Amino acid sequence: MARVLLKNVTKKFGNVIAVNKLNLEIKDGEFMVLLGPSGCGKSTTLRMIAGLETPTEGEIWIGEQLVNEIDPTKRNTAMVFQSYALYPHMTVFGNIEFPLKMARVPKQERIKKVKEVAEFLGISELLNRKPSELSGGQQQRVALARALVREPEVFLLDEPLSNLDAKIRTQMRFELKKLLSYELKITTIYVTHDQVEAMTMADRIAVMNRGVLQQVGTPDEIFYKPSNTFVATFVGSPPMNLIEGEILKKDNKVIFDAGEFSLELPEDVGIEGKAVLGFRPQHVQIAKEEKAGFVRGKILGIEKLGVESYGHVTYGNLEIVIQLPEEVGSNITEVYWKPKEDRIYIFDSKTKKLVYG
Amino acid sequence: MTPKEKERLIRRIWIVITYVVLLTFALVYLMPFIRSLVASFMTWAQASRYPPEWIPNPFTLENYQKLFRLELFPRWIRNTALYAGLIVAGNVMFTSMAGYAFARLKFPGRDVIFSALLSLLMIPMFVTLVPNYIIIYKLGLIDNIFGLALLGITNVSSIFLMRQYFMSLSNEIFEAARLDGCGPIKAFFYIALPLAKPALGAVAVYQFLGSWNAFIGPLIFLRSPENFTLPVGLSFAFQRAMWTEYTPIIAGSLVASAPTIILFLVLNKYLIRGIVVTGGKG
Repeated sequence: MARVLLKNVTKKFGNVIAVNKLNLEIKDGEFMVLLGPSGCGKSTTLRMIAGLETPTEGEIWIGEQLVNEIDPTKRNTAMVFQSYALYPHMTVFGNIEFPLKMARVPKQERIKKVKEVAEFLGISELLNRKPSELSGGQQQRVALARALVREPEVFLLDEPLSNLDAKIRTQMRFELKKLLSYELKITTIYVTHDQVEAMTMADRIAVMNRGVLQQVGTPDEIFYKPSNTFVATFVGSPPMNLIEGEILKKDNKVIFDAGEFSLELPEDVGIEGKAVLGFRPQHVQIAKEEKAGFVRGKILGIEKLGVESYGHVTYGNLEIVIQLPEEVGSNITEVYWKPKEDRIYIFDSKTKKLVYG
Repeated sequence: MTPKEKERLIRRIWIVITYVVLLTFALVYLMPFIRSLVASFMTWAQASRYPPEWIPNPFTLENYQKLFRLELFPRWIRNTALYAGLIVAGNVMFTSMAGYAFARLKFPGRDVIFSALLSLLMIPMFVTLVPNYIIIYKLGLIDNIFGLALLGITNVSSIFLMRQYFMSLSNEIFEAARLDGCGPIKAFFYIALPLAKPALGAVAVYQFLGSWNAFIGPLIFLRSPENFTLPVGLSFAFQRAMWTEYTPIIAGSLVASAPTIILFLVLNKYLIRGIVVTGGKG
């Protein structure tokens, strides 16, 4: 086991900068999730740690060793690919045994280790089958077993759950976390574009966009203290509402003027001028009748997700999503709302960085 | 007639038309083979008559007997088998390596070299015949099956086929192998080669067919009758000063083509796969 340290790592493909001056430390035994939309550089980062890509600039350290020039065969990292990349011509046993065979582990020991890891992952009865005879979930376990069998220092996973169907995915999510974090306590770097996976599995999340690291933090920090509008809207479902407008001070009150409506903000907001107001759909107070400080909104449509339901309210081009109380029926056409005061975020209108919240 | 019946009738007519067209073409392609089969049981006098006759009269096995009376016949078969074996072995070994290198390894000038290789496909064999002859002559390998085989031991279209096949394999499998501790050479033997069986099969079959039936090459590079391959040997044995005795040659060709026909029947799925892999003729 080891920590992984990325220092000013940049990767260019021709003129395209896939990863830009990335600085990130993954602590020993930590479960780090790299989160971001496709093309944000998260997979490239993972591949650089594995050694499948060479950084254009910067340093990658695994443990106490600078690994830039070290061949992937000697880095002692293991990777689970999105497609699992099992060797189709080998049995499950052959697949799991393969890394040991390449490391010239004696035959008896290989057999013992393969059996152990297969037992551990509950795939003992599959050892004689070929990958094509396995279900997606079973293939996934074999890929995990192949990665685990040689006891790597760093475990890399590239969207390992995205080829599974929704039900197994939820189940595997917890199993993976349990296995890697609680039982093996192995340093894990997990790439995903699915914020639910990130939130549920990570010790810490690194959010990336267009090759640039946006924020690193615990799931709570990412959710409750997003550093900019990108993180704020990428994490959380439905995404955070962002409203452009102006903050004015009138009669000792702080008012946010969005054009179509205005809201009173807490007094401690020390900013004036143009800004972006943000609040999550879940952090809204709702009234059925007109009430002081509440904004009237026409409901365009309601999304029902079982217990929760979300109403879409429009003001010209602006659409706001708010969570409706459970007892609200689906035939409601009008609502009065107001963001909860202590759950308001204000972002700089130019830099989009968090300035209040 | 209801629309449904009408539809059924149209479909039936189409099937009939399709079969008629296919059978016509099949017959056209089969005709020379059928003619050879029939002619191999005729006397030369009857086989050369015009308009052609189709029923052997008298029916004779003389052509086959002449063939097996040839002292060198078994020797030619052995030579041909040796030649075909060397060509197949060489191609399987070298073109899989070359195809792997072009598809999977990164080295300077890779694409330029590959383009240059491909352009060789456009050069007719007769252009390189003389230089090749000189090379083999200087090596002292004229009139030697090994010298002849040296020229065909690797082949651009086989390299192309192997390269396309290796490129079609998932990149992630090779990356996984790399992380599992496989350098490029181990990855070739443990991963690429076992996965390439269909393509290797196609290369082997094509090369066997080509070398078993080869005529021009053996004709030019082999001199003494005991070193001849079957196609050259047959035409040598029955060529007289003023005329050629064709019926024993026809009989001989039929005997000679037996292995290729059997091979085709057994392995035609590999041939078809080869065509699919390269998207055209192999």
